[in-house]
Formats: sequence, structure tokens, C-alpha cells
Amino acid sequence: MAALELSSVRKTYTSGDAEIVALDHATLEVGDDEILALVGPSGSGKTTLLSISGGLLTPSEGTVVVGGQDISTYSAKQLTAFRRDSVGFVFQAVNLVPFLTARENLMIVNDFGSSRSHKDAKARAEKLLDELGLSHRVDNLPGQMSGGERQRVAIGRALMNEPALVLIDEPTSALDTKLGEQVMELIVSEVKSRDTAAVIVTHDQRMTRYADRTVTITDGVLAA
Amino acid sequence: MLAGKEIRRAKLRFGLLSGAVGLLVFLILFQQALLGSLLLSFTGALENQSGTVLVFSEEARKNVSGSVILPPEQAQIAAVEGVGSSAGLAEGTFTIEAKGTDVDASIFGFQPGGPGEPTRLVEGRLPTTPTEAVASKEDASDGFGLGDTVTSVDGGITLTIVGLTERSRFSVAPTLWVTFDGYTALRKASNPDATAVLPSVIALTPAPGVSASQLAASVNEQVDGVQALTRSQAVNEAPGVSSVNTSFQLILVLAFLVVAVVIGFFFLILTVQKQSTLTVLRAVGAPTSYLVKALLKQIFLVVGVGLVVGILLTLGAVKGASAGLPISLEPTTMVVTAVGVVLLSLVGSLFTLLRVGRIDPADVMNRQNAGGLA
Repeated sequence: MAALELSSVRKTYTSGDAEIVALDHATLEVGDDEILALVGPSGSGKTTLLSISGGLLTPSEGTVVVGGQDISTYSAKQLTAFRRDSVGFVFQAVNLVPFLTARENLMIVNDFGSSRSHKDAKARAEKLLDELGLSHRVDNLPGQMSGGERQRVAIGRALMNEPALVLIDEPTSALDTKLGEQVMELIVSEVKSRDTAAVIVTHDQRMTRYADRTVTITDGVLAA
Repeated sequence: MLAGKEIRRAKLRFGLLSGAVGLLVFLILFQQALLGSLLLSFTGALENQSGTVLVFSEEARKNVSGSVILPPEQAQIAAVEGVGSSAGLAEGTFTIEAKGTDVDASIFGFQPGGPGEPTRLVEGRLPTTPTEAVASKEDASDGFGLGDTVTSVDGGITLTIVGLTERSRFSVAPTLWVTFDGYTALRKASNPDATAVLPSVIALTPAPGVSASQLAASVNEQVDGVQALTRSQAVNEAPGVSSVNTSFQLILVLAFLVVAVVIGFFFLILTVQKQSTLTVLRAVGAPTSYLVKALLKQIFLVVGVGLVVGILLTLGAVKGASAGLPISLEPTTMVVTAVGVVLLSLVGSLFTLLRVGRIDPADVMNRQNAGGLA
């Protein structure tokens, strides 16, 4: 089963009288343990595609199926639950709650209405942080950590609820090349070890070597 | 988790706000206690006497000190249908020497057993002879204690204090209650030419089955040149009382508004500052209700602590002040104030709550360079 299936997805915005096409009949399938790199210049529709795949935006046309669920017609409430349970996000820079420790930043997703107990969530958060090489940082606040460490905590949070799909937006844009590579390696090993699919948006061609496949997007149109 | 952890990691910030709310609550409560005691010092004597209707001469315009009832009117009033009992109540200001100091005291002359008797006797007994008096507990340490003797400066009549009342002062002056005969003697001693001593007002109690307001209406209808008021009307409409009341109410309203604005702005600033964080939380699956509940929890916590601080400060101040300035705080006032503060905090935070409710999780992609809070 594919982790993500986009079928002829179109997303348009109106600006005044003009209609802006952000995504034009995009069709894409990501296998259940595949890492896909999505590259393209800014304004090409990368972020829109990622937002639609993660249930942050709804498509104007077409269907979006994630882990077998068709989310194209979900209500805002259903999408919230979908984002909580079925996808993991790693954003560019702002990811963590500044007044929560690394462990609490992972555990908070459990607080949104998960069936997992507090104790189990704590154990899972600590295990993930340990895997990410952050066992010495569990009780630190984001302000006490480096940029790379914060990105690693964000990866941990994305994996907290065992999602079918992890969506990663420019994970290295705030980091230098060396740190960026380390973070990418970590993402790949974490995602691969879990048989989870991932879509990584990047404008940095060098990062595409970590992916199984690269798709280019230009003016809202996908090209393999 | 969210609400509590944030407070725990920003104790100073939330502590200062709770402290500020506490001080405002203190201001509101203390002001109300002060207002209550000030009004009682003005009109406690009218409030805590046994006549439920008081009849003033019309030209006195509800002022006891300016009122005088002539014998014919007195007879007419007593004859009105619905009167259970009636008695004259006289009031005058006399210079009294107590503990070697001359003070102006308000003296009430009442008919023992009739309406107009003081009702809040807390020690001793009511006077039975013309040279006995009941004083206010509040003035006991100023030479008006039980067993003390005081002397009228004009005429040299000595009165022995045989009882003490509470909450029964008049015009913020030491207040004495004497029998009508005692009052007549004091008047005549200070003004030997006076032929008759007349009551200032007539105190009435209605006959069974007649209400105070019905009786006041009947008197006003049937007797010319007088104005009958129920006891609470006489208290609330006494000259000066309503303007004092209005001024205090205005300050209270302003203090309540300040509470709402302070709480509202604080949480608004806090929410704007962490808008990026809240958007990330919405994006990763936090329902709006989760964020709204966290905000409400913080508001209730801050206001709750503020209320406790404010009430404790007020109780301390009331206790400390009671020695010199007799003030007290009614539990109802505290409850009403607490409920008012909580409601106004919510009103003040309404805009912030709406703002949190309207956070669009899709904004998360656009906000990445906005805050840099992570």
C-alpha cells in the first residue's frame, strides 16, 4: 500500500479577480517505506503540496489518500485528528514549544487526545531521544540546545505517534552544511528503520542524494 | 500540560500578574469595606433603630437634623390607618466633654419601648432615666465606654453610659442615645428659653398586615407637610449618602475595568508572542479546544491566586484598621467581587480567546521565519 497517493490534485487561490494555480493536476505516489525528495525553486508549489499531503490544506480538486485514508473531504476537525495520528511534521525553523523540555515537546502530542498512557508516552519519548543521540538533553529547554539538536528533537516529535508518513520542510535550511548532512543522515536512518515513508522538501540539490527518488516541481507541475 | 508548564517556567511573569490582580482586588474590596463603614457612620443610627417608617417634615428634605414635627402633625400621623405604634425621635448636635476633651456628638432622644429605639445593643442596657445614655462601641475608647460619664458643655448635664451599640453612629460623629426626657433636659439646659422640645422625626411601626412602604404611602397621602420614608429609603436617600455612594461606585467600576484590561492585555501579549508556537501545535494535531482550555486554565489560575492574595490583604487590612477605623467586610461582598473579577477577566480575554480559536494550522509554513522561538 502506498503511504501517499495524490491523484490529479489541484490547488488554486484567488487574488482579486485573478486565479493563482499553486498546484496543477499533481499526481504522485510514495511507497510505504520510500523517501522522496521534492525539489523546486521558491514559489513552485512545494510547500502547498506538502501542506495538502499533511492535511494542513484541502485540495481544490483531486484526491489525497494517506496510509489508506482519503482525506480530501475531511472536515477541519477530522484533519486535526488525522495530523495528530497519521502524519509527522518537521518544519524549517520553528518546531518546538520554547517552555517545554525536549521530553515534554515529544510528549505533548500525546496530550492532544491519544490513547497512549502518560507512562508509555514518557518511555517512548525517552527512547526516541536516546536514538537521536539526545539522552543527555531530555530535560533541557529548546533555548538551551543547538540548532541541530532542536531539529533532532523535532524529528523525534514527528515520529512520536508512529505515523505512516513524515513530511519534512527544508530541514537543513537553518543549519550549516555539515550539521545539515548529519540531520539528513539521521532522518534517513530513523525513517528507514521504521518502514515509514517520508517526503522531504528542499531547494538544496545536494540533499537529494539521501532520498530514494527525487521529484521536481515547477510552477505547480510535477516532473519526475 | 501546556498551561501548567508555561507558568512553572515563567513564574516571575505570572507571579507579577497575579500580584497585580491581587492588589486590584484588594483595592476593590477595601474600598467597598470603607464605603460600607463610611455609610454606616453616616446613617447607621437610622438603619439600626426600630421604626420601619420615618416621617420627616417636608421642608427638611430627608435631613433628620433639619426636620421638626409639630404636635398637630404628630397627632395626625398617629391617627393614620395602618399605624401600629408611633413615637417621636429627636436628634441634635451637642458639645460633650468626654475624657477631658470637648467633642461634638449627635444625641438621639427616643421613647423607651416605642419605635425609634436602638436595635444593635451589644453591651449593657438601654437608658431608663434622663441621665443615662447608650454610646457607640466604636467610640468606647474615647471616653464613651461602659460606666464612663460625659457632660454636656452647655448646661452641664452629666450622663452615665449604661450600654453600647454597634453600627449605630450618625453623621460620622460620636452618637449617644438617651430617653426623650433626657433629650428634653439637655435641650432646655443649653437653651433655657426653649418652651417645648419637639421631635425631629416620627418613628412608626406598621400594624400587622401592613407593609412599611404601604404605611409610608398612606402617611404621605393623608398628612400634609410631611414626608414619610421607609427605613431603607431614609438611609439611602439621606443627604450626602447618595453622592458618596455614586463617587465610590464610579471608582469601583473603574477598578473592575482596570482588572479586565490588565488581564486582557497580558494574555493578548503573551499569545501574540507565542503565536508561532501555537500554530505549530495546531499543525501537529492540537485541537483548538486544547489551546483554548490551556489559556482558560491560565486565566483562572492567575485570577484565582490574585483573588486569594487580594482577599488576604483585605482581611489583614480590615483587622489592622478595626482598632481606629471600624470597618468590616461582608462575605457577600467578597463573593460578588470574586465572581465579578472572574467574569471581567474572561471578558477582557475574549479577544485573545477568539484569536487562539482562529489560529490557522496551515500558517505554520509561512511562520517559519517569523518568531524564531524554537
